[in-house]
Amino acid sequence: QNTLNVCFSVGYSAVALNHVIDFKEKKQEIIKPVSPSELFPSLPIVQGTTKRIKVLTRLTLVVSDPSHCNLLRSTSANIRLYDIIAVFPKTEKLFHIACTTLDVDLVCINVTEKLPFYFRRPPVNMAIDRGIYFELLYTPAIKDSTMRRYTISNAISLMQICKGKNIVISSAAERPLELRGPYDVANLGLLFGLSESEAKAAVSTNCRATMLHGETRKTACGVVYTVKKPRKVEEEETTVPACKKAKTQA
Amino acid sequence: MVRFKNRYVLCEVLSDDPRCRQCIEDRAVGLAVRDAIGRVHGDYGLACCSISFTVKYLNAYTGTVLLRCRKDSYRLLCSALPFVRYLESRAQRYPCALNTLHVGGTIRTCQKFLIQYNRRQLLMLLQNCTNEEERQCIRKSLLSCSLTEEQSQSGDEEDDDGTE
Repeated sequence: QNTLNVCFSVGYSAVALNHVIDFKEKKQEIIKPVSPSELFPSLPIVQGTTKRIKVLTRLTLVVSDPSHCNLLRSTSANIRLYDIIAVFPKTEKLFHIACTTLDVDLVCINVTEKLPFYFRRPPVNMAIDRGIYFELLYTPAIKDSTMRRYTISNAISLMQICKGKNIVISSAAERPLELRGPYDVANLGLLFGLSESEAKAAVSTNCRATMLHGETRKTACGVVYTVKKPRKVEEEETTVPACKKAKTQA
Repeated sequence: MVRFKNRYVLCEVLSDDPRCRQCIEDRAVGLAVRDAIGRVHGDYGLACCSISFTVKYLNAYTGTVLLRCRKDSYRLLCSALPFVRYLESRAQRYPCALNTLHVGGTIRTCQKFLIQYNRRQLLMLLQNCTNEEERQCIRKSLLSCSLTEEQSQSGDEEDDDGTE
């Protein structure tokens, strides 16, 4: 909870609490997410504006086997309760599956070890088209020097393939001191090979797009296309005065 | 006109430990930042950034630090600031974090930003105080608000009261 307080004081407007599910243990059940109202009786206000800070819940699935992906397709009610779903692929096949077919919002890129697979352009481009973002963590880089090397090398190889689009930089901070302000995180993006505008976007606009993606995933299970043209004419006929009718029909 | 252009980086020191505030000194902060630059950018980065590197202003009560560096190397400095993990002084290490507030070309722009920032922080503190604290704290914070109003009108730096 201290970490969240520091988040708010430093100037973030939305925070997501992460819950990691690792499939190495058997009999993993997805726990209901901790609702943010239990932690805070009243959410504090964002600095500089009058809106309240949003606290979202997030689920990360560490997948090392294609059978684990079935969990996403299962109609477990608890998954629907999470706002953002992220997947952490361990093999190249899974990365391909995650980018192309899985119903997730974020694909986490491992920063603590040398990547066992190289990124290829086709799945990355498909992910960009689908609106899936790639996530990089920065807290291991702050803690340890060897992790910093892996972080930078993995991040730069990702940049070379995706040209800096669809990147989100986030922290896996467990303690309040591991957190950094948004301006600092954008500067870290410069280290990862992003340009300045891309780095700022990685902290602000891309994150908001991810939130929206999560919302649409939660709420929109199917798309209903309404054919608007005849309706519009009907509405105009009822609302538009008689003198304009001739123009609209023409 | 040929002159050296500098960048002034305004940061805030965040820490858990209340004793850390007392031991914020310009030498300690300068050493910590230099160490971080050396770790992240190596010898080249360290040498580039320390051409005109000093700690210009320090406020131990609020933890505000103003650093100066050359315009060519301010990116190296800014990108290394997140990697400052602890301050070391008098043989004691305090874990801390630096939060960048503003980067400006002159001290005056940084001062203007700092005055606005402090005003906002005081407003937030006042909101919290009126809900929870006793009358003495409310009086103290009100007094400090009025003091800083006078100071800001005269254009000086604002000092935050240690009522946190």
